[in-house]
Amino acid sequence: MKIPFSWLKEHTPIKVSVDEVVDALIRLGHEVEGVETPRQDVQGVVVGKIVEKVPHPDADRLSLLKVDIGKDEPLAIVCGASNMDVGDKVPVATVGTTLPGGMTIKKGKIRGEVSFGMCCSEAELGLAEEAEGLLILSADAPVGMEVGEWLGLEEAVFDLSITPNRGDCMSAHGLARELAADMVLPMAHAKMICLEDDASVVSPRAEIIAREDCPCYLSRRIEGVHVTASPAWMQQGLLLAGMRPVNGIVDVLNYTMLYLGQPMHAFDADKLQGDLQVRRAGPGESFVALDGRNLQLTDEDLVVADAEHAVALAGIMGSEDSAVNENTVNIVLESAYFRPASVSRSRRYHGMVSEASMRFERGVDPAMVEIALQQASKIIVDLYGGRPGAVERAGNIRQVNARRTIHCRVSDIEARLGIAIPEAVDQTLERMGFSIHRQEDSLKVSVPAFRHDVAIAEDMAEEYARIIGFDRIPERMPPLLAKGVEPVDDSVRLAVAGDAVQVITYAFIAAEEQRHFVSDDGRDLVLSNPISESMRVMRRSLWPGLLNVAKYNMNRQQAGVSLVEHGRIYELAGESRREHNMLAWLMAGEKEADQWYARGRAADFFDLKGAVDAWLAKRRLAARWIADDTLTGLQPGQAARIMAGKNHVGMIGRVARDVAEYYELDMPVYVAALDLDLLPQGRPARYVPVAEFPGVQRDLVFLFDRNVIAEKVIRCVQQAAGRLLADAYVFDVYHGQGVPEGKISMGIRFTLQDASRTLTQADSDAVSEAIVAAVEQKFGASLR
Amino acid sequence: MSELESLNEQLDRLREQALQDFAAAAGLDELEQLRVRYLGKKGKLTEVLKGVGRLAPEQRPLIGKVVNEIKQLLAEALAGRERELQAVAEQQRIEAERIDVTLPGRKLPQGAIHPVQQGLEEMTAIFRQLGFTVAEGPEIEDEFHNFDALNIQPEHPARAMHDTFFFADGHLLRTHTSPVQIRAMQSLIKRGGTPPVAVVAPGRVYRCDYDMTHSPMFHQVEVFQVGRDISMAHLKGVLKFFLSSYFGKALPIRLRPSYFPFTEPSAEVDIGCVFCDGKGCRVCKQTGWLEVLGSGMIHPNVLQAVGIDHREYSGFAFGLGVERLVMLKHGIPDLRLFFENDVRFLRRMGS
Repeated sequence: MKIPFSWLKEHTPIKVSVDEVVDALIRLGHEVEGVETPRQDVQGVVVGKIVEKVPHPDADRLSLLKVDIGKDEPLAIVCGASNMDVGDKVPVATVGTTLPGGMTIKKGKIRGEVSFGMCCSEAELGLAEEAEGLLILSADAPVGMEVGEWLGLEEAVFDLSITPNRGDCMSAHGLARELAADMVLPMAHAKMICLEDDASVVSPRAEIIAREDCPCYLSRRIEGVHVTASPAWMQQGLLLAGMRPVNGIVDVLNYTMLYLGQPMHAFDADKLQGDLQVRRAGPGESFVALDGRNLQLTDEDLVVADAEHAVALAGIMGSEDSAVNENTVNIVLESAYFRPASVSRSRRYHGMVSEASMRFERGVDPAMVEIALQQASKIIVDLYGGRPGAVERAGNIRQVNARRTIHCRVSDIEARLGIAIPEAVDQTLERMGFSIHRQEDSLKVSVPAFRHDVAIAEDMAEEYARIIGFDRIPERMPPLLAKGVEPVDDSVRLAVAGDAVQVITYAFIAAEEQRHFVSDDGRDLVLSNPISESMRVMRRSLWPGLLNVAKYNMNRQQAGVSLVEHGRIYELAGESRREHNMLAWLMAGEKEADQWYARGRAADFFDLKGAVDAWLAKRRLAARWIADDTLTGLQPGQAARIMAGKNHVGMIGRVARDVAEYYELDMPVYVAALDLDLLPQGRPARYVPVAEFPGVQRDLVFLFDRNVIAEKVIRCVQQAAGRLLADAYVFDVYHGQGVPEGKISMGIRFTLQDASRTLTQADSDAVSEAIVAAVEQKFGASLR
Repeated sequence: MSELESLNEQLDRLREQALQDFAAAAGLDELEQLRVRYLGKKGKLTEVLKGVGRLAPEQRPLIGKVVNEIKQLLAEALAGRERELQAVAEQQRIEAERIDVTLPGRKLPQGAIHPVQQGLEEMTAIFRQLGFTVAEGPEIEDEFHNFDALNIQPEHPARAMHDTFFFADGHLLRTHTSPVQIRAMQSLIKRGGTPPVAVVAPGRVYRCDYDMTHSPMFHQVEVFQVGRDISMAHLKGVLKFFLSSYFGKALPIRLRPSYFPFTEPSAEVDIGCVFCDGKGCRVCKQTGWLEVLGSGMIHPNVLQAVGIDHREYSGFAFGLGVERLVMLKHGIPDLRLFFENDVRFLRRMGS
């Protein structure tokens, strides 16, 4: 909301600077988003009188002027305009002045003639979009005076963001009341002006059916108005306040609203059929609003209707049909109190905002309902003529006008704020319309009707706090709470200990992408109002998000990516919604770049498996990896379930080629995911003595059928080796030249150790023989 | 020439020749050969000594003394030359093994934490230090926890501030982390507990806003403390401690009266602009202040909604936007960078 400084000053004689007003407004809780300073913007432009005018010797279109600006010597100015004569008074931008357009005036030579300033048009002063010729000032303009001052340009326009609880401050009157109280200045309260009614003009009386939504509705008919454009001063005021002039009648209502805070509406009386009603919309009722939108109304919508149909969505917008225009002769003015909840509900349902609805939904000052109607009527009659009928009153404003009383304790408020509340503050609150009786510790507060937001003791704490100033409240540390130390979640920290970069993607994805990894089982959670189709369903896998990030980066000259994400997945579980914390990885493309010490290589399954394994190891967990060709979206033969104990805690694999291609990734892409909520607790480390006697290491290389898997071979070796085995692992895998078709060569390296003695050749021979026998027998393998 | 003289002369020549040869030796191997040639069992010195038998017995000790002196002299010369040659050999080895120390070191894998995660961790750590308990809540919420219990009435304009994502069954994506406040207090009461309670709740929140300065998903940290005689002065104390700790310098803070349905009084919190130290710059629009979070004293209706007696207990609460603070701390100009996930950006910011 924009309010010109002069409007505030018309209510209370503020003497302090613009900056001080800004500080006071902020301290009182009215956020100032910006300040425009039209007068200051033309500082340095003064009234000058042309005392001489001769043609430029070298340019037909230019004139050489001598302009008196109240200094000893008139200024020589070269001017390109032609609409001025000797004796005219014009705005002169002196050397050093910066005009609103950004141009700074310098002493200069134009076609050989020196110029000490510039005579300005309205456009150059920022007063009009464009202009022809100079702005000729009236003859009584004092030479040498700042033009901004002479023209009465606004000193400042405050751009305010009024909080939703302060409808009373959405006007010059309301804000001035706050400032006057704070600065201890007299306040010119809005007064009731009564026009003489014309008995021959009969105002329609509204029937209020929805009394809950509209406790009071005033209407007045004015006949014989001559609607012209509103006067220039009013249009300028509206523009300063950020509203566009519409027509004479509407402008008066808007101007009055900005001034007093009460939104009003005008109907073209000749377009209304019969009497008015304030009621909820009927079934199937529709309505074309002023902005041209056709609204399907519901029984939640409060409307003003004539005998035929709705003519306004109450407190929000009138209908197109009943609107006032240049041809209107007879009007009906409306001024009412609509309940905030009703206006807010309809406004949000229909997605509309208007200056009126912004005020009604915050709660207007009930005292202004009639004052504003009377003031607006007077301005209309003064400007456009017309005969006003009597004000017809439906309902009773006293229903909203009642003052509330709050009983509370000074000590409670002081405890809440952490600062004493001196009695002097009571007087400021009294000037703001409260009436306060303080007796020892007890406070009895009578709240003005326009303060819809003050109802309980805590509200008064806020009133006291903002008068005292939040900055005066001391800073104190609260009593600290001793508590046990909780473990910090280090899931991500552990995951980026390798080369992975943590990413964060949106929790909602396209339904189509969901299907890449999760079959359609009806357990998707679907947003009713997504930003777009690509953000419609809650993800059940982190992989689509990671694939999109991979695509984004591969398209930006990255040779490879290693990503990890920590986030939730979401799904329906019967009647409830389940959210699980996941950790997911993606690796694709170059794993290691060419270096002077080694050639580069691409990421493969075992890079990713190693990363997941390392993560699990740091949690002191060991996993089993079970090949699974049925995992959706993963390539059969390169996919596995991850088991920890009996729990299926995750998946790993290569992304199916068609899915990778969907993300424009033409290299192998590997993904993994762990469900953190299903992971068991790792066991804390137990002490085991370090072996004192040396171990013996042996290698055995076997030829297996291709389908034999490493895990089973190692288990067989472990069983055959017995208690001397310290470690056994696959150190070499080979198939190809030298190995028969359908076979695979696997090298097993094992270490034997005894805690009590050094092992002999005989010991290791015996174990080797046992291993060979077991492996040959179990897998039909042969020693190479 | 007597035998003795002849022998002495032979020895002199041998000594001179040996010293010459030693000095000329080019390597340790050659030097060893020279040692054998001159000093070995069948060496030249032994050869010379064979002539001693021809000397008169009284002359023999004289020549013996000379021979011993030569032996010692040559042994020392050998050792000296050996040291010289060893030094040369070592120098050669060093030259041969010279490397280019400017070649890059072998790459260790280098991961990066997301700057938002970094911010969340730093922020929660500060509150943990003050004895706050970390809590989390569901991201899919119901209207009661997200709005009603927080004193946000169904028709209240505040609900328009929160443009909410809904599911068909009426559930919604939480628009702030404040519902964790409700859940934490509810669970305290359900366990039969009473205040004091102090909680920090980091998490993801969602609003239907998507443009230059809004992301439909972002992160908040909700902080609240309830106890006897908790006042606004405590709120200011904790805010000052938190903001100064997070930004690593004692920042001026300013509280402005504002409005939130769940606090009374409510305050917007500004910090002295971190870019210009409050002097006024483009970022703070010349005001010297930056708005960073909303705060206040918990509204009695909120305490009532969770079954805490607001006449006995009071509390403060505030909620802060993680991305905003991270942007201010690290000078990140655009919110969208956080969710574009360009690894070049993430690696640069990551730690």
